[in-house]
Amino acid sequence: MNSVNTDDQTLLEIDDLTVAFGDGAGSVRAVENVSLSVAAGEIYALVGESGCGKSTLAYSMLQIVPQPGRIIGGDVRFRGRGMVTMSKRDLNALRSAELAMVFQGAMNAFNPVVTIGTQVDHILQAHPEVFPDPKEGRNHFEHLLELVQLPPKRIWKSFESQLSGGMKQRVAIAVALLLQPSVVILDEPTTALDVLNQRLVIDILKDLHRDLGVTIVFVTHDLAVVAEVATRVAVMYAGRLVETGTVEEIFKAERRHPYVEALINAIPSVLDVGLTVEPIGGAVPNLADLPAGCRFAPRCGLAEEICQHTEPPLLGDDGGHLVACHVVNRNAVPMEVSEA
Amino acid sequence: MSLLDVQNVTHTYDTGTGRPVLHNVDLSTKEGEIVALVGESGCGKSTLGRLIAGLHEPSSGSVSFEGSDIAGLRGKRRKEWRRHVQMVHQDPYGSLNPGLTIGSTLAPGMLQHKLANRRTVQAEMIKLLQQVGLDATPVFLQRYPHQLSGGQRQRVSIARAISLQPKLIVADEVTSMLDVSMRVAILDLLLSFQRDRGIGFVFISHDFGVVRYFAQGGRIAVMFYGYIVEEGPVEDLIKSPSHPYTHMLLQAIPVPDPVLVRKRDEQGSSPERLTGEPSTKGCVFANRCPLVQDVCRKEAPPLKDIGSGHRTACFFSDEIPPLKHLTVDEASPQATRL
Repeated sequence: MNSVNTDDQTLLEIDDLTVAFGDGAGSVRAVENVSLSVAAGEIYALVGESGCGKSTLAYSMLQIVPQPGRIIGGDVRFRGRGMVTMSKRDLNALRSAELAMVFQGAMNAFNPVVTIGTQVDHILQAHPEVFPDPKEGRNHFEHLLELVQLPPKRIWKSFESQLSGGMKQRVAIAVALLLQPSVVILDEPTTALDVLNQRLVIDILKDLHRDLGVTIVFVTHDLAVVAEVATRVAVMYAGRLVETGTVEEIFKAERRHPYVEALINAIPSVLDVGLTVEPIGGAVPNLADLPAGCRFAPRCGLAEEICQHTEPPLLGDDGGHLVACHVVNRNAVPMEVSEA
Repeated sequence: MSLLDVQNVTHTYDTGTGRPVLHNVDLSTKEGEIVALVGESGCGKSTLGRLIAGLHEPSSGSVSFEGSDIAGLRGKRRKEWRRHVQMVHQDPYGSLNPGLTIGSTLAPGMLQHKLANRRTVQAEMIKLLQQVGLDATPVFLQRYPHQLSGGQRQRVSIARAISLQPKLIVADEVTSMLDVSMRVAILDLLLSFQRDRGIGFVFISHDFGVVRYFAQGGRIAVMFYGYIVEEGPVEDLIKSPSHPYTHMLLQAIPVPDPVLVRKRDEQGSSPERLTGEPSTKGCVFANRCPLVQDVCRKEAPPLKDIGSGHRTACFFSDEIPPLKHLTVDEASPQATRL
């Protein structure tokens, strides 16, 4: 088991990654020059609105960017091994041993005509290297079902149609953990769930992290869920990373990207009566027709002349809290240029 | 006179289980009032909304609009009621006909109800686009839904609803499929119609944050498996819930503040039985209730008045513990927004 507290034990490293969809004039870059690293034992949140590239970034961590998307620059490394140029065979071996994914809408991922148990047996048969004795694999799955607060015996015999959406989401999480990956990536794990099922998934992710020591990367648009679960956060906007830091830095630091500030202020909360809630004016830019300079500038209250023509670099302090904003970074001293 | 009166409504879908999705529901709203329906998936809140909008007829009980049972309305009066109650649906992708331009989506209703004629309809539609914050040009009327973003589509749905000058809009999870940055803008738009035109709302959502923002000054009805278990003024109900289910819902809300999250987690874990089937005997919430006692398994508590328009269906409403993390704004003065 990985220990939860590590000294920068980098597991997954995204290095200057660019992912394009289509080619020629119609091509768009869903992810552009993004660098970040996930250390063992972290719960890493990728946050942003629809179309910001957060899911594409998550897919590229597994090298499963859907067609016509492709990685046109940079690399993804797992424990230092580059995945972009890796052979398909090595990639499959790496994925089945180390990486797992729970897709968005995973509640619709099950085969409706065979039981959950049969589907789990199929996975165990395909990967005898993990559990040579299938009985051991079944026992492990029962243990996982208990961790996601489901009755193992009943679930094993169930068809997916006999389970609620919230139950299916939790079964999907248990299935992802079946082969004992060191990293599990979840795309929008709490979306489309009501508040009680959402709370259950939040609690379960924290439990799994604590009990299994598994590293978690999750994609979400919900900042409240980020505050509940994440230890580290990357915020994306229109394909670029705009801010990254620990969860406290993102929510509490003085120096903060204006987009992140606006996102936090746009959450109608039960904590505060609506006075500070403000919508963000304008709309996310079309990736095929991006503004010159900072991509958030057309919606930004702080935007200055420089923002109109120069893209802001991600700059930060020693601790790894990086912000891509000319204005915020100029006003904050001291500061060092990061390599990112 | 109340605008809407739901009286003793029980509803069963014809699925063979025979289990009602609504049990003896009573609810009324005044003109221009906002009533929010809150509860987990499957609690019946959308069904109640659909009965109010006249999309289904209740199996028993009645839905009255301006004093008349809508089941008995005929002819001109039925047509008038149809115009006065409109609905905005959850899914902006599924609720607009993909084969119709925005113009063809908006025009027929106004023509049918004689709120515009062939000569004036174009100008009326452009006025509507402007009122809902869309690009108010003839070109926009030629667009198809697939050319619009989710937020724009939801604005078209709202334009369609307000085009008939309704008195009541049933808004079913209207922001749940939108990005965070769009949500507040859509809520503000709907609120402007409530404020400026006195349109009342039945606002369905499972998100208490959104409900508190939208329904401030109005009321909340909390539903559990077909029953209204608590109902009362928004601030009152959120600050001091009087039903253990409402307490559980409020306590489950993710808190957008990592420091408060840590503080709360240090105070103890989440309650158990967050999900699960309802009880079939006695109180419907008994199986999942942390305060359950013997009497709850034998007898169903009635929805009784506990003062200042607040009703609850719990024998032990006095024993509900205070909320752990929602008390941070106690010190700040009450905001008055509407």
